[in-house]
Amino acid sequence: MRTAATTQEPCIGIIANPVSARDIRRIVANAGNLQITDRVSMLMRLLGAAGSVGVGRALMMPDSGGVSAMLIRSMAREHELQHAFPKLEFLDMAPTTTVNDTFKAARMMREACVKVIVVLGGDGTHRAVVRECRDIPLAGMSTGTNNAFPELREPTITGLAVGLYATGQLSAAQALVTNKLLEVSINDGERRDIALVDAVISRDRFIGSRALWKMDSLSAVYLSFAEPQALGLSSIGGLLQPVSRQAPGGLAIHLSDDPALRKLQLMAPIAPGMVRPVGIAHWQTMPANQAFAVAQGAGVVALDGERELTFGSGDRVQITLRENAFPTVDVATCLQLAADQGLFRHFSPQT
Amino acid sequence: MADSNPFPLSKDELLTCYRTMRTIREFEDRLHVDFSRGDIPGFVHLYAGEEATAVGIMSHLGDGDRIASTHRGHGHCIAKGVDVVSMMKEIYGRKGGCGNGKGGSMHIADLSKGMMGANGILGAGAPLVCGAALAAKYRKKNEVAICFVGDGASNQGTFLESLNLAAVWNLPVIFVVENNGYAESTSRDYATAVNSYVDRASGFGLPGITVDGTDFFAVYEAAGEVIKRAREGGGPSLLECKMIRFHGHFEGDAQTYRASGEMENNRANHDCLKIFNSHVTGAKVIDAAELLAIDTSVLALIDEAVVKAKAAPLPTLADLTTDVYVSY
Repeated sequence: MRTAATTQEPCIGIIANPVSARDIRRIVANAGNLQITDRVSMLMRLLGAAGSVGVGRALMMPDSGGVSAMLIRSMAREHELQHAFPKLEFLDMAPTTTVNDTFKAARMMREACVKVIVVLGGDGTHRAVVRECRDIPLAGMSTGTNNAFPELREPTITGLAVGLYATGQLSAAQALVTNKLLEVSINDGERRDIALVDAVISRDRFIGSRALWKMDSLSAVYLSFAEPQALGLSSIGGLLQPVSRQAPGGLAIHLSDDPALRKLQLMAPIAPGMVRPVGIAHWQTMPANQAFAVAQGAGVVALDGERELTFGSGDRVQITLRENAFPTVDVATCLQLAADQGLFRHFSPQT
Repeated sequence: MADSNPFPLSKDELLTCYRTMRTIREFEDRLHVDFSRGDIPGFVHLYAGEEATAVGIMSHLGDGDRIASTHRGHGHCIAKGVDVVSMMKEIYGRKGGCGNGKGGSMHIADLSKGMMGANGILGAGAPLVCGAALAAKYRKKNEVAICFVGDGASNQGTFLESLNLAAVWNLPVIFVVENNGYAESTSRDYATAVNSYVDRASGFGLPGITVDGTDFFAVYEAAGEVIKRAREGGGPSLLECKMIRFHGHFEGDAQTYRASGEMENNRANHDCLKIFNSHVTGAKVIDAAELLAIDTSVLALIDEAVVKAKAAPLPTLADLTTDVYVSY
């Protein structure tokens, strides 16, 4: 069923990727996988918390990977137990179990005027939502492999923050922050895409199973932010010259194992359990809105950890950092403000 | 200057893989026609649409590596190197077939190629490959064993017991779940409580990954890693390949369980042969004329196989009591 959020009842969108954390890194890097049951438990906790602060409806992307089916069973059980939850509705779309589902769901949620889109997935899932929908705030929950973009946080707390914003108890100025991203352009816009955290140039020239884990195939890393505690390819920047999410600018790093070009070797956790030496040729900050031309002649651009765009020796690849590109819910600030303003206090009559 | 071959296989290897996939497609599409004419006894379940998975995996295997197939086994057999003419004779129920015409479609085997057999019993291949893998482990020959199972059969107890056994004994086994979304006509969403096969593997302590089974190169790369891990002593793993079946569960299946337009969309946009062609011609490694030449020669091979199958004699009454027991 599909119902546009035309009533005043606060409505949130939910996009939960059932196939994040399922790639080859479980074989080559001992990466974990978050089970469908755990993903559904996360959603139940999020919905329960969001409902407790006034969210009446949630509009969700259907999937054929098991999340929707199990969530429907779980909600039916809670209904039998007379527990209060927001009303759960599904978008009227046939799932294809590809990233196109996320693109379509994001578009439909914008049309339905949801206040926030809650995303369960890794960096790639969040990237797909932002690619389609930069104007609706996101609240990310990490279920992926490297997870540099979404925070690891208890869904109950995310649900409270989302609910406080969606119900108007906190304003956009109070609840939201804006984020940077990287725009990738091939041949002056013939092909375009974005990355939220990292755009990496690989000498591989086929997409294959998508994940990146072989350092000897990489030639350059472009980062919108780089935190020292990050896992994945952004950790190279994080341990070399950290750039926070909110600081201006990004970082461009050129890699080389050639002793004649290599300035230093850096040990970095490039995948779960994989701490590898990375040869660094040189690095520089990326000012906003300045296009950086990729020097390599042919290869693949990997976006947020997945091989996405192949290019040949005749193609011109450029990467540009954009600031204030899209909003997200600042969960920690929301809860701080809620405490400061006493939003959770309910005084008994005699006090 | 043109860019070099970007793929992890040489041009000759790519052409071989294409030839094998095209052979499976022509073989199955011919059976689709011939079965409807009443030429073929028994039942057939066709593998068309799923070729990238069989060939992407089998490209990493030698004759010493064992596989156990399913009721939908023709593609596995061809990819593993079983002779197409002897397969066609078997399916036509003729002497000279892999089983001398007494087994039919669901009992094709060729141990010389490591093909332990198609199997009409759902989920029955999983315990068999555990045995083959245990033998390989004892022989220390770095061989692996692979079990193919459908999304429906993955609910069978035999499959789940085998995941446990393979993990406990750290066997060189890969469990390949060929997930085409339907157990016969029953949607996976309806019939499978936890319908992530990677989650199931985790429950038994072995790693699992999911891959797009319609993309040959995705399957090839992922299969290479799980097979390498098994050969090197890393133990069992599960590979889920999401794929599309082009024909019904069985020949004669009206497929009323599919959504309107589903198959038209699948054939137009998710045909693994078209996807392969697009990759290799797009990269200018192989040109369309080379692929067309293969198509023509494969068609001739299938024509020849059918002619030979129809010309071969039927088993006699006396053949009924032969090949029942094996002398060791």
